Amino acid sequence: MHLFWWFMFAQGGVIAAVLIPVHVLVQGILGPLGIVPVVDRHYDTWVSMLGNPIVKLYLLVLIAFPFFHFAHRLRYLLVDLGLPAAKGVPAQALFYGGAVGVTLVTIWVLLTTIPISLG
Amino acid sequence: MTTEAHTAQPEYRWRMPADWWARQRHYFLYVVREFTALPLALWLLWLLVEIKRAGDGPGRYAPHGSMPFVVFSVVVLLFALYHSYTFLSLAGTILHFKVFDRPVPSRLIVLSQFGLWAAASVVVGFALIWFAR
Amino acid sequence: MPDKTITIRATRYDPEKDEKPRLQSYDVPFYDESMVVLDALNHIKSHVDGSLSYRWSCRMGICGSCGMMVNGMPKLTCNAFLRDYWPRPIVVEPLNNFPVIRDLVIDMDDFMHKLKSIKPWIIRKQEIPLGAREHRQTNEQIDDFRQFSECINCMLCYAACPVYGLNSEFLGPAATALARRYNLDSRDQGLKERLPVIGGAEGIWECSFVGECSVVCPKGVDPAKAIQQTKLDTTMRFVLPYGNRD
Repeated sequence: MHLFWWFMFAQGGVIAAVLIPVHVLVQGILGPLGIVPVVDRHYDTWVSMLGNPIVKLYLLVLIAFPFFHFAHRLRYLLVDLGLPAAKGVPAQALFYGGAVGVTLVTIWVLLTTIPISLG
Repeated sequence: MTTEAHTAQPEYRWRMPADWWARQRHYFLYVVREFTALPLALWLLWLLVEIKRAGDGPGRYAPHGSMPFVVFSVVVLLFALYHSYTFLSLAGTILHFKVFDRPVPSRLIVLSQFGLWAAASVVVGFALIWFAR
Repeated sequence: MPDKTITIRATRYDPEKDEKPRLQSYDVPFYDESMVVLDALNHIKSHVDGSLSYRWSCRMGICGSCGMMVNGMPKLTCNAFLRDYWPRPIVVEPLNNFPVIRDLVIDMDDFMHKLKSIKPWIIRKQEIPLGAREHRQTNEQIDDFRQFSECINCMLCYAACPVYGLNSEFLGPAATALARRYNLDSRDQGLKERLPVIGGAEGIWECSFVGECSVVCPKGVDPAKAIQQTKLDTTMRFVLPYGNRD
């Protein structure tokens, strides 16, 4: 089981390292400041992008995978900061269960918010 | 190694100081590296909310863009860059494979990781801006 | 030339008298630029206080017995030059994360048990009778593990490892690196015997890759690399269909 969670941790770490900075830069800073036009600034462009099934899949990977990385890191960080209880099975269920929860919520949001369209 | 000789004697037991991570620069940088997970997680949750808000309909949709949010994003970006830098550098230590029976030098692996990061950033950034027109 | 001195503040601890370790200052003549911390300790023992206890043997970075905390960093004292610290005082303490027996001497039993637990010798399923033939190995096959075989068991990596400091059950850097040294050896067939210890509850998965073990290693062994690569290989053995071989 350790092995599986470590595998997910490593995967999520790569996804987070490679993809998150550009999203934060463009959608969190350049877009809101109006320096460049960004898809989520306008309803029409944001919706047409979110309808694309490939974009949905991409967003699932972008959001869900890193949470397994975060869960693993924060659990170990708590151990480092003097909370050995974070090693136990209840803590594992809480943290990794949380990552599974975020994954399910992400799937639900992606499937229910904007219907899939190929247009 | 004889154990009998001194196990009978009292020893001074080591106890880790609670602030061990604040006492040495490397330990502190390590804790910062692990802590990056928290701001990044918060920002991704925001992105999820931004997706959900697209369901508000054309009339009510208002993208998040307040000044506090931009400041938050700047802070997150710093943590994100630190995560990317440390994670992709350390990947060079972990990944190991052979091409034509010769081990690939870890410098080359790290370089390819940073190349992948740059390429992905350009593609994603381009898509986010191009399709906004 | 005026006589130069350097102040050494060394840990003193007598289990029969002292509640806990304390630091004592000694002024040591610093007459030669090539003097190391171990020379200063030897001076104290021969000329000032013969009761000061510490381990040492080869004084040339081979035996691995003179590891101590020098100004808070784990170092071989035979390789820590006074000139790098002078004129500031040098604090010499026993290695972190271990029980202290007396003064600068730590109890290394725990490490010895861990070392043994990973079976650091070549394991064959079928021993070839002596004299029948030799186990041949190419230079490339030696390169695979050579780095990890440089370990001198000085335990600096354990003193640098906060994971070990917080949980002394953790198998730790040097033992895992040595396990990898044998697992990567083309002559060895003992991986399956070592896996339960390496991949067990107190094995590689406890490591959170602080990386300080590799920073302090005086021999360039890079135990952090050994541990992370073991994690990756163990995972790949599981993921890849052909991975679950010996």
